[in-house]
Amino acid sequence: MKLFLVEDDVLLAETLGDALKLEGHEVTAIDDGELARQRLAQAGHGFDLILLDLNLPGCSGLDVLAELRQRDSTTPVLILTARGAIEDRVKGLDLGADDYLAKPFVLDELEARVRALLRRHPQGQSLHVGPLVLDTVAQRFMLEGEPLNLPPREQRLLNCLMRHAGEPVDKARLSEEAFAGEVRGDNAIEVYVHRLRGRLKGSRVALRTVRGLGYVLEST
Amino acid sequence: MRAPRSLYSRLLVWLLLPLVLLGSLMLIQAYYDARRTADRAFDRLLEAATLAIAEQVQWQNERLWLDLPPAALEMLATGAQERVFYALYNGQGEFITGNARLPGDARQDVESGDTLLYRDIDWRDMTLRQGVRRTRLEDWSLRERFEVRVAQTREGRAALTLSLLRGNLAYIGVMAGVAVVMLLLAVRSALAPLTRLRRAIRTRDPRTLAPLELPLPRELAELRETINELLARMRRVRANQERFIGDASHQLRTPLAGLSARAELALRQDDPQAWHDALKAMRSTSANTARLAVQLLSLTRLNNPEATPELVTTDLDRVARTALHHAWHACHRAGIDLGLETPDTPVTVRGIDWQLEEALSNLIDNARRYGARRITIQVSGSPPSLAVEDDGPGIPADKRLLVLRPFYRGTSDGEGSGLGLAIVDGIARSHAARLILEETPSGRGLRVSLRFPGEIS
Repeated sequence: MKLFLVEDDVLLAETLGDALKLEGHEVTAIDDGELARQRLAQAGHGFDLILLDLNLPGCSGLDVLAELRQRDSTTPVLILTARGAIEDRVKGLDLGADDYLAKPFVLDELEARVRALLRRHPQGQSLHVGPLVLDTVAQRFMLEGEPLNLPPREQRLLNCLMRHAGEPVDKARLSEEAFAGEVRGDNAIEVYVHRLRGRLKGSRVALRTVRGLGYVLEST
Repeated sequence: MRAPRSLYSRLLVWLLLPLVLLGSLMLIQAYYDARRTADRAFDRLLEAATLAIAEQVQWQNERLWLDLPPAALEMLATGAQERVFYALYNGQGEFITGNARLPGDARQDVESGDTLLYRDIDWRDMTLRQGVRRTRLEDWSLRERFEVRVAQTREGRAALTLSLLRGNLAYIGVMAGVAVVMLLLAVRSALAPLTRLRRAIRTRDPRTLAPLELPLPRELAELRETINELLARMRRVRANQERFIGDASHQLRTPLAGLSARAELALRQDDPQAWHDALKAMRSTSANTARLAVQLLSLTRLNNPEATPELVTTDLDRVARTALHHAWHACHRAGIDLGLETPDTPVTVRGIDWQLEEALSNLIDNARRYGARRITIQVSGSPPSLAVEDDGPGIPADKRLLVLRPFYRGTSDGEGSGLGLAIVDGIARSHAARLILEETPSGRGLRVSLRFPGEIS
């Protein structure tokens, strides 16, 4: 995947660049807000994900984001900032960022967020969560190389969970996804989750409960 | 804000206004006095003139006859170029003789003898003072009534009035001048301590918070004491801030010293395993230091009363969910079960969502660092509250107040910064919420809750 890293701290930029390259991504790094703005203004900038620092020389990260979102509303943006306050996150998310990571962060967490964002905006043909694969064009699931046939509601449920793999997903949201707007209680979703668990049993993919909130799909 | 008028001008207006009124009254009074005195003096002349004329009236050839004595009119011609008129009328009001047909006086006689009446009249565009004497010729054969009318223009009277008034005017002027000067001096001297206080404040070193020491009258001494109380409070706040900055600097320097020492040590070694260990230790130290810096910033901002955002209607359920999303990865990696308990109906309070999220994330962080295995975020409706409950070691009851102080740490394992609960306390205060530290219902672990004031209906 092609990643665009806008970060002015040399040590951090190099380290993140190296780490993401080790993950198999192609990384373009820029340390100036104005240059980043120009680069992103080119038609078809070709990046799959943008990692954006907010405190930049030249031009603020929020301005870069605002301008990008006028032309391009799909490329996922992950905001990194040294300002500890959650205030900035709100501003960033309002401007159309997809996720937020406050410095200091651990590399593991950054990589997990990058994976999650790329999964949520699939550019390619398939989604992977460990041995579970979703062919996004044919809407067919494969588990450990075997086709996994699911009834429509479970299919929609698993699709949603895979797109957010590694993150807790609200029960209300899953319910909406599975029943496509039909009004059902939160408890109805438990039946479908129970069935999905049965189908995933024995594989290296687990569907865990997040107490009081919902569920999370992860590879073990 | 419109500035009220200065004390000086206020005092001047309220003291000068009555003085001016009083002065004007005195002037009017003086004018009428002078005029009355002048009239009285000149009326005597009129009286003498009418008498002199009346004495010359005779009965000749069956009619009244007057042989005008020159002295009678001359006494009325003072040096002021007045014009003098006289006329003699008989009892039936017929003009007998004279140099002008002067009008009569309608007033009734008051006494049985001679009647003398004075009044001001307007006659042929002149203002005249007229004296009318009604009397009669009396001898054995006849009683004939007649009237002598004498009038003069007012020049002489005006001149006398003016000269009388002039004397009074000088007297009143001097009095007024003395009063105004005294007044200005009095106001200035009364306000002088205020000027001294202002100068004392203005010349102070802006960095000093020492109390104001200057002798002042009672009314201003109260103001000085109030200012000194404020300064004392500011001294306490500054002492706190200085202690906080000192602590913060110490807290930041210590891990940095550790990092540099660890790196130096590793550079002296050749063993890759030693390098690996050093890097691991440095990573954990730098992460803690960075977190400390973030917390210091939050605490500084919370303590800045001028940067307090407005409280808006906030959904506690959403706050709790966001906090859970954010803390979930870290807890999950550490094998901690992080969960949520919410009521069926939404709970809203007046608040700032990001601050409440920060409070929750600090509480979750604390629980995680002090060894909890199961952490639950709780939202409840009556009273509206947010809580974080864990199954860690808890805090003994006698230390629960201490832990709210910045840099206080429950244990000395070097993990926490000692700022987490101080931040939560600051956030609780900015929401007027009560921060409650208690044992969990099961008697194990700690439950920290923010209880908000009242529900929004």
